[in-house]
Amino acid sequence: MTSINIFNGLVYGALLIVMSSGLALIYGLRRVVNFAHGSLYMLGAYIGYSVASQGGFWLALVAVPLVMLVFGVLLDRYCFRLLQDRNPLTVVLVTFGLLLILEDLVQTVWGRSNLSLPAPELLSTSVNLLGTQVPAYRVAVLGVGLAVALGLAAWLKFSRMGLYVRAASTDPTTTAMQGVNTDRLSALVVGVGTALAGLAGVVAAPFLSLSPTMNSDVLIDSFVVVVVGGLGSLGGAFIAALVLGQIQSLGAIYLPGLAAVLPFILMIAVLLWRPAGLAGNRT
Amino acid sequence: MTLKPRTLTPAGIIARTAIALAIGLLAATQLQSAMLLSLLTQATIFAIFALGVGLLLRQNGMVSFGHAAFYGLAGYVAAILMDQHVASAELIILLTLVVMAVFSCLLGLIIVRVPGIAFGMLTLAVGQMFFQLASTSRSLTGGADGMYLDWPARLFGVPINLIQRQDVLFGISWTLLVLCIAGLAALLSTRFGRITEAVRDNEERARFIGIRTLLPRVAIFTLSALVTSLAGLLSVLNTGFISPESLHWSVSGAALMMVIVGGYRTLWGPALGAIVFFLTRDMIGDYAQHWLAIFGTALIIIIVFSPEGIGGALQRLTGRRRPQRA
Repeated sequence: MTSINIFNGLVYGALLIVMSSGLALIYGLRRVVNFAHGSLYMLGAYIGYSVASQGGFWLALVAVPLVMLVFGVLLDRYCFRLLQDRNPLTVVLVTFGLLLILEDLVQTVWGRSNLSLPAPELLSTSVNLLGTQVPAYRVAVLGVGLAVALGLAAWLKFSRMGLYVRAASTDPTTTAMQGVNTDRLSALVVGVGTALAGLAGVVAAPFLSLSPTMNSDVLIDSFVVVVVGGLGSLGGAFIAALVLGQIQSLGAIYLPGLAAVLPFILMIAVLLWRPAGLAGNRT
Repeated sequence: MTLKPRTLTPAGIIARTAIALAIGLLAATQLQSAMLLSLLTQATIFAIFALGVGLLLRQNGMVSFGHAAFYGLAGYVAAILMDQHVASAELIILLTLVVMAVFSCLLGLIIVRVPGIAFGMLTLAVGQMFFQLASTSRSLTGGADGMYLDWPARLFGVPINLIQRQDVLFGISWTLLVLCIAGLAALLSTRFGRITEAVRDNEERARFIGIRTLLPRVAIFTLSALVTSLAGLLSVLNTGFISPESLHWSVSGAALMMVIVGGYRTLWGPALGAIVFFLTRDMIGDYAQHWLAIFGTALIIIIVFSPEGIGGALQRLTGRRRPQRA
């Protein structure tokens, strides 16, 4: 009983890792908290649904992140870049406007009713994990989360581009003076962040149902993750995502009356202890 | 250049208040259409809501994405107290405001410390927490079905069906709106107003000259929550019903939109934004099902091209803009 819940918590944590690493990356480079991130996730899930109904799940898994990558690059080029010298509040409110538009778009194109995307056949079995039968699809989701976490960490740590990203997150002006084209770098990073939101959407579609309100729960959980982890910190976000996944999963079983409040209690406790989050500095 | 506000003299505030009250009374007595009056009542209640959100932004420089929490909670507190027959309805109204003041002050002590945009994210999360709580605790709040308020036959000695008549309720809401704006204008023209502006513009320097910065910010946060709670109370007086919908983040979002559309540099801007919002939503008629996209687009256009909103544009037109910070 408990082990299956811990497993489910890990799966949700993996999904939150994919979501919140996108948020953290975008915040790191552009100092923008993207309120539309949950809507991009929802858009990814719905585009995935349409692509999968034509060409199968695997095509959707590849196509959606690519489409969202392009969307993210355009978002950076025609929104974040043009507004980079404005009050940070301006950009946040623009992403909030985008959230409203995307929500309406999804309702108009795909309707208000719940849709479901079946898991691909290859993964519709169950596997034995430490003596418990678990759906193979969820194990795969766990794998995706792990791959994203390791892939991003390796990219940032070992590649030249990753070095630029880390430098620009610390001080964009000085990095630009050293000859790094920070605008192109930002476009890439916002693109990757958006692609990750789309990937999370496709991956989540087979085990969470699609509805025009699916964006808000995941957005709020991702916000809790990046605030608890420390804005812009990937490592902090990874840890916070795993903790929140467990809290959501175990809380629903052992403290059903309080389950809805637990994430916020966690957040308030962490913020009282460290106002800038687990891994945050005070800038 | 500084952003020194154009302070009104007490006589100026009183004169404007009297004019605004007269306009409201004229509208309440002269408008015949019940539908229009009901629309205006809703708009005025949301104007009070937006006044609270705008106050926080104008005076503290903080954006709240979760003010629906105060709007909805005030309704729920009143509904639950009445459900349990704790006291007379008049007392419950006062009690609700006291509960909301204490609650928002405690919450403020925690969350106004959180810097910058993390504050906005936090308010969204806290707001959504109350939405979830109200939706799930069926025994206390009736869950997603909401709960009805059983107003007594007479409130403050006045028959309830007279109070709930649309023209009377519009008059009450409008009067409260005007009095709130006037009260806040008077309060902010004192030393307290200048202290909060100093803290907003540069907290560190404010601390250097010996101002304790936490309490003024908490005070503004509490005032802002209290004004929004008043709107929540008026709403349950108007409809006699409260449901988790009132706590949903989209309600906070709509209020924030009104603040930006109306302009937050003036106290009356957000109220203007609320009235524009409701009239527009009514006018676009059949397209109203796409109001999310329409207002989302409007929000982006206004914030990018006219960040001071309609209020700022009006001030510019009438040539009363004060000097801008370079």
